[in-house]
Amino acid sequence: MLAAVRSATLLGVEGRAVTVEVHVSNGLPGFQIVGLPDEACRESRDRVRAAVMSSGLPWPSNRVTVNLAPSSQRKGGSGLDLAIAIGLLVANGDIPGEAVERLGFLGELGLDGSLRAVAGVAPMVGAFQELTPVVPRASFREARAISPGPVRVALYLREIVDALTGVAPWPDEPDDDFVDDEPVVPDLSDVRGQATARMALEVAAAGGHHLLLVGPPGAGKTMLAQRMTGLLPSLTPAMALEATMVHSAAGVRLPAVGMIRRPPFRAPHHSSSMVSLVGGGTSSLRPGEISLAHGGVLFLDELGEFSPAVLDGLRQPLEEGVIRVARARASATLPARFLLIAATNPCPCGGGPPGSCDCDDGARLRYLRRLSGPLLDRFDLRVGVAKPGVDDLLQSGGGECTATAAARVDRARRAAIDTRGMLNSEIPASHLDLVAPLQPAARLMLRNELERERLTGRGYHRIRRVARTIADLEGDPTEAVGEQHVAMALQLRVRLRVSMREQVA
Amino acid sequence: MSADLPPEAYASALASFPHMSIHRLGALLRHHPPDEAYAIAIGEHAPSGLIERVLVDDDVRAAWQRAGRSALLHEAWQRCVGLGLRVLLYDDADYPVLLRNDPLPPPVLFAEGDLTLLGGRRAAIVGTRNATAAGRDTATTLGRQLADADVHVVSGLARGIDGCAHRGALQTVGAGRPIAVVACGHDVEYPREHRALWRSVAERGLLLSESPPGTSPEAFRFPMRNRVIAALSEVVIVVESRHRGGSLITVNEAIERGIPLMAVPGGVHNRAASGTNQLIRDGANVVVDVTDVLVALEMDHRRSPGFVDPRPRPSGADLVVYESCAGEPRTIDGLALACSLSLVDTAMAVARLEHVGWIQQSDGWFEAVGSPLR
Repeated sequence: MLAAVRSATLLGVEGRAVTVEVHVSNGLPGFQIVGLPDEACRESRDRVRAAVMSSGLPWPSNRVTVNLAPSSQRKGGSGLDLAIAIGLLVANGDIPGEAVERLGFLGELGLDGSLRAVAGVAPMVGAFQELTPVVPRASFREARAISPGPVRVALYLREIVDALTGVAPWPDEPDDDFVDDEPVVPDLSDVRGQATARMALEVAAAGGHHLLLVGPPGAGKTMLAQRMTGLLPSLTPAMALEATMVHSAAGVRLPAVGMIRRPPFRAPHHSSSMVSLVGGGTSSLRPGEISLAHGGVLFLDELGEFSPAVLDGLRQPLEEGVIRVARARASATLPARFLLIAATNPCPCGGGPPGSCDCDDGARLRYLRRLSGPLLDRFDLRVGVAKPGVDDLLQSGGGECTATAAARVDRARRAAIDTRGMLNSEIPASHLDLVAPLQPAARLMLRNELERERLTGRGYHRIRRVARTIADLEGDPTEAVGEQHVAMALQLRVRLRVSMREQVA
Repeated sequence: MSADLPPEAYASALASFPHMSIHRLGALLRHHPPDEAYAIAIGEHAPSGLIERVLVDDDVRAAWQRAGRSALLHEAWQRCVGLGLRVLLYDDADYPVLLRNDPLPPPVLFAEGDLTLLGGRRAAIVGTRNATAAGRDTATTLGRQLADADVHVVSGLARGIDGCAHRGALQTVGAGRPIAVVACGHDVEYPREHRALWRSVAERGLLLSESPPGTSPEAFRFPMRNRVIAALSEVVIVVESRHRGGSLITVNEAIERGIPLMAVPGGVHNRAASGTNQLIRDGANVVVDVTDVLVALEMDHRRSPGFVDPRPRPSGADLVVYESCAGEPRTIDGLALACSLSLVDTAMAVARLEHVGWIQQSDGWFEAVGSPLR
């Protein structure tokens, strides 16, 4: 009267194997789940009961105890429904025990006995290792992307029971027609003018430099940011797997191929909460927006409107490429290596050419102070985006298309990885003289900027990394960085006028 | 009531009372000696029938009585003494003649520095706090050159044009000095970043306020301050002002007092110059350089020393880029397009020009600095 069925739960972006033990014994009829289930998990009692009965299967009039092992670990969500139902039927003698030995079950049950998809199938299937996953049909793509062997799918609990008892064969795998439903990234050729901002996008993509776009409303900051992912190369297999795991764990729909192959683009609104951005919240520690942007671009429009605590939360991921979310009962490390693009107005009124701003200094200062400090320091590129002029808008034909620029970016990224083993934004300050030496004229130009206090020490290293990327994009990654590269890098780091006297260097 | 305090102490204390407008204070001090006026204000003495009218508001009387109960009287006087301020009453012999005949003279004036400066030639330079680089440069140059010609520069020590005019006057080789009229107490150095400038003006020029020490810079005080600036000047020069800028208050006060008005013209696209251009359209005299002001003051301007620009002249692409910025502020994209240069060549040109000081950048916009190439 005892059965053990394999399943899994989710913590962060990792699946944890769970064994569902079901014991049916004499005693007062009842149904109890132990082993630290959360609310959704405890409710599965009622779903399982209804689903089993709707499927035309007998419900034992005995005492049923379900243990979720290891019982010290907290389990959340409705993904254990199927395993509990199968375990119950095995313990009740309706399914032979040996039929479920090499299988792992995932899925939520409907009251009518149907199977529903759950979030995080990919990482949970990953935790099964050599077991054959049995998942709801709607989760087939995710399971398929991860599982090394075959995947069993079904629409109804009854189909699974029939297959396990040998009454009917397993339902066929769905043969989805291959549809290319990866999101279409808009093309750069739609952008008129904005030569500097275009260049900044290219440099950001080539060197992995974080980018801040500063300009009045309507200048095209969002339009530019949306075109960023088109410049980035496709994800490496390892990165693609991590991104897929994150998307699956967060319950975000995966493309038809099952894997996230193109860099994702996430643009959370400025009213987003801390938890929605960095992750956590539920007992399974759902990944936040910054993890969903893993391998791709995180775009924060109206940066100054985000709450300061949320912006502070970005510091660890920017530094380490991961976010460690810890709660009293659980903690998880979520991947979060993204390229940050942020947009802001220069002041509350939106700004424009000097003399056109209506804000008083106090308001201006408060506005920029919200951005300044540690976060502002992490942007290698700070670019002013002005409203395009009439000449630009009337210019026949758009600018260069994404593919041309992406080819240059790809070459520069390869060169950086081949010669230095890392992207330029990651070059440690101590290596700069070795991998990004300056020609004498370039050194002089930087010395002038430093002497006039237009550049801080930290800004100096950032300029050098950016200049290295510009030189890489132009040609030889082994040549010294020239004056023209430094001059261009300086133009990609505008000074923000905080007040008449104070400027962000 | 202490007998050992001078009349100025009572006047200073009265000036620091809540709701004590210039009108109320003027009425009290015109009809009563200061100690009596103080007693009236705190309700210990009956006012004369003439001024009872201005004191009828019960809220005001209650607020004054509360203020009178605190140790304000001694405290206010100690602050004035501690700061070394001269407190001038309307009847004092030293009270500026210029203000004595004003339609709305300050009832009490707190002064630090050289009061004899008010006997010299005086020109006011006023304008927006949020000025362009060109506007700030014009204000500084005008301030310096006027002071070189022994003209004192009157302004308000505010951010932007005001501060630049005073800074310019302090750089002089001539006998002109800065005269500042501020809207807060002498010890409330506002804006904070002008603290050093504030001290220099007090030490080398004259710093005036209608408000006793400790008064904070509340918004309503600035229009009143502007009237004193206008009253103290022989000519008012507006360097840059928006359509509804605060400097236009100074302009109105000047017009009311029949003081000549001059304005520095600005580019037609420059919003910071929209007010000044309107003034010119309305008939204000044009200021292009210091000579225009000196002519308006009927002064011999031939003594003003020549100014040699020490910056090396740009040439080639740099010259093209400089001249493109000289018309109006431009972005790097705008410059590249206007000068038909590549982005990198433009970046090189602006780096060189910025290094020498011909142009400067803020928020991604480039502006030409200093007098144009001749």
